[in-house]
Amino acid sequence: MMRKNEPIVQIKNLSKKINNKTIIDDLSFELFPGEVYGFLGPNGAGKTTTIRMMVGLMEATKGQVFIKGQSIQKDFKNAIAEVGGIVENPEMYKFLSGYKNLVHYSRMVKGVSKERIDQVVQLVGLENRIHEKVKNYSLGMRQRLGLAQALLHSPSLLILDEPTNGLDPSGIHEIRNYLRKIAHEDGVSVLVSSHLLSEMEMMCDRIAIIQNGKLIDVQTVDDFVGRDLQVKGRFTVVPVDKAKTILETAYQDKKIEVKEDIIALDIEKEDVPAVVSLLVKNDIRIYSVQANAMTLEEKFLEVTGGNQIV
Amino acid sequence: MSSLLKLIQNENMKIYYRIGTWVMVILLLIAVIGMGIFVKTTSDENDNWQVAVQTDIKRLQAQKEKTESFKFMNEEVLKSYDRQIEIKEYRLANNIPPLPADSFWGFINESSNLTSFVTLFTIVIAAGMVASEFSWGTIKLLLIRPVSRSKILLSKYLSTLLFAFSLLAVLFLSSALTGGLLFGFDSVSQPHLTYTDGAVKEVGMLQNMIGIYGLNSVDLVILSTFAFMMSSVFRSSSLAIGLSIFLMFIGPQISNLLRNYEWSKYILFANTNLRQYIDGIPFMEGMTMTFSISVLIGYFVIFVSLSWLAFTKRDVTA
Ligand SMILES: Nc1ncnc2c1ncn2[C@@H]1O[C@H](COP(=O)(O)OP(=O)(O)OP(=O)(O)O)[C@@H](O)[C@H]1O
Ligand SMILES: [Mg+2]
Repeated sequence: MMRKNEPIVQIKNLSKKINNKTIIDDLSFELFPGEVYGFLGPNGAGKTTTIRMMVGLMEATKGQVFIKGQSIQKDFKNAIAEVGGIVENPEMYKFLSGYKNLVHYSRMVKGVSKERIDQVVQLVGLENRIHEKVKNYSLGMRQRLGLAQALLHSPSLLILDEPTNGLDPSGIHEIRNYLRKIAHEDGVSVLVSSHLLSEMEMMCDRIAIIQNGKLIDVQTVDDFVGRDLQVKGRFTVVPVDKAKTILETAYQDKKIEVKEDIIALDIEKEDVPAVVSLLVKNDIRIYSVQANAMTLEEKFLEVTGGNQIV
Repeated sequence: MSSLLKLIQNENMKIYYRIGTWVMVILLLIAVIGMGIFVKTTSDENDNWQVAVQTDIKRLQAQKEKTESFKFMNEEVLKSYDRQIEIKEYRLANNIPPLPADSFWGFINESSNLTSFVTLFTIVIAAGMVASEFSWGTIKLLLIRPVSRSKILLSKYLSTLLFAFSLLAVLFLSSALTGGLLFGFDSVSQPHLTYTDGAVKEVGMLQNMIGIYGLNSVDLVILSTFAFMMSSVFRSSSLAIGLSIFLMFIGPQISNLLRNYEWSKYILFANTNLRQYIDGIPFMEGMTMTFSISVLIGYFVIFVSLSWLAFTKRDVTA
């Protein structure tokens, strides 16, 4: 992964209170050029609210947002000029054609030529339908048009709130590849929010998990699903009760579950041999050992406490 | 500067690419043509205008005497009678017939009452100017561009005014065309009589019409600005339309009801009709053109400031 030293986005202690309710709580993170950064969280976690503050639609209660070193609060025009985005659904002027919509946004920035509009239209694969009114578009086509307006002025930061919502599998595949391409080849930073875990796993370089307005964890995707880190250890043992007591003494901070003659606990992969030898030393008969890497989904559920994900 | 023009171009595109806008233009045209046909079919031939004017003068004199016998007579009312009588006498003396509704200028004068349609339609557009962006959800994409919110709001406001004056131009031109086609252009060069500085004067008819349209547009601009403010403050076009139209119809009545209170002269609707100082009776004794214009400017500043504050300072949660 490319990572130059200067971050494109710096979020510093960002907080948002609405009616005395803290919606975003002291969020800090950075995005570097050329990376696809995933914003993962259950419904109501605060993904959209954070994005709204990043693009100046909402005023932060506390904290700062810098884009290419320029404050979105104090130097809005220069900071936002670097950003292209979709916030929530890609809502367009339905009574205008897709093309007129793009013309509309192109008039609001400097230096977007007719050729650039055509180029972007081709890029999102809308060339056959671009002169139709948006009210006749399907959700996926609107999503594509949304992406087109975000790319129009070749921004250095692309912020996409649930960009694959409504796209068909081939559309998702296309967008995913395209986002990875502009990030890795052109050095654009991409922030995508989603609660689709499998999506994020395939699209992003780093993933930030956000819940109840707090940043819980940021990891690179490799670490996240890394084989050498956390595993779900399953040991088929006899006698199971004695084994449980032994492991509970040895691993006091771990949650140990027993189901019939299987004992399960989440441990580091490195610790598996130690567990086995501990059990053997104590005359426990081991019939099978399984140590599966946790999927991102399991990890995510573990981190967020589960249940709340849609 | 050129970026402001581009923003206005955008706003115009959003106004004129909607069918509703054209329905309003067509309704206005139908109203003008309908009025022309109505005037054409109901006007009666009356070729002895001198007799009619003489009867008018007698009627006015009788009314004036009656008014003079009242204990609490209003000086302004008497003056108004005097003015009308003098103008009519001038007509007889100089052989200038009054303009009937079924003449070119007469019809344009008659149809200038249709400015209330223009006001109504402009209110509908103004009320949607900011609020629709919120209800469409497009505000989120509109405000994440390297353009300040103030400039976007200004472009929206200027486009609203542009729409208002375009509609006014449509009204004038379609009235002129309808008037000319139905009643001929015979009276085109006839002068208009006004009473200024204690004497009857002749002015060009076009100049007079521009004056009438100009005074009517005071009402138009202030009510559109009100609707625009409502749109920005409440972010709901139906609320903005409802309140503005309600005020447009009820406002003048309410100010009339409150006429006995001294402070009622500060009510917006006591001041919107500037024709009261030219050929009418002022809302309250002692009110002048300058007073009304100052009050109007005051309201205007309040409306614009509230629109601006609501648009630039609040979070966008749509
Ligand atoms: N204008 C508002 N007023 C009050 N509360 C709000 C407002 N906007 C958002 N919230 C609250 O803030 C929290 C975060 O909302 P947000 O829309 O940012 O979540 P999200 O992570 O984008 O969720 P989703 O996955 O459903 O899109 C929610 O609990 C929501 O109820
Ligand atoms: Mg959201």
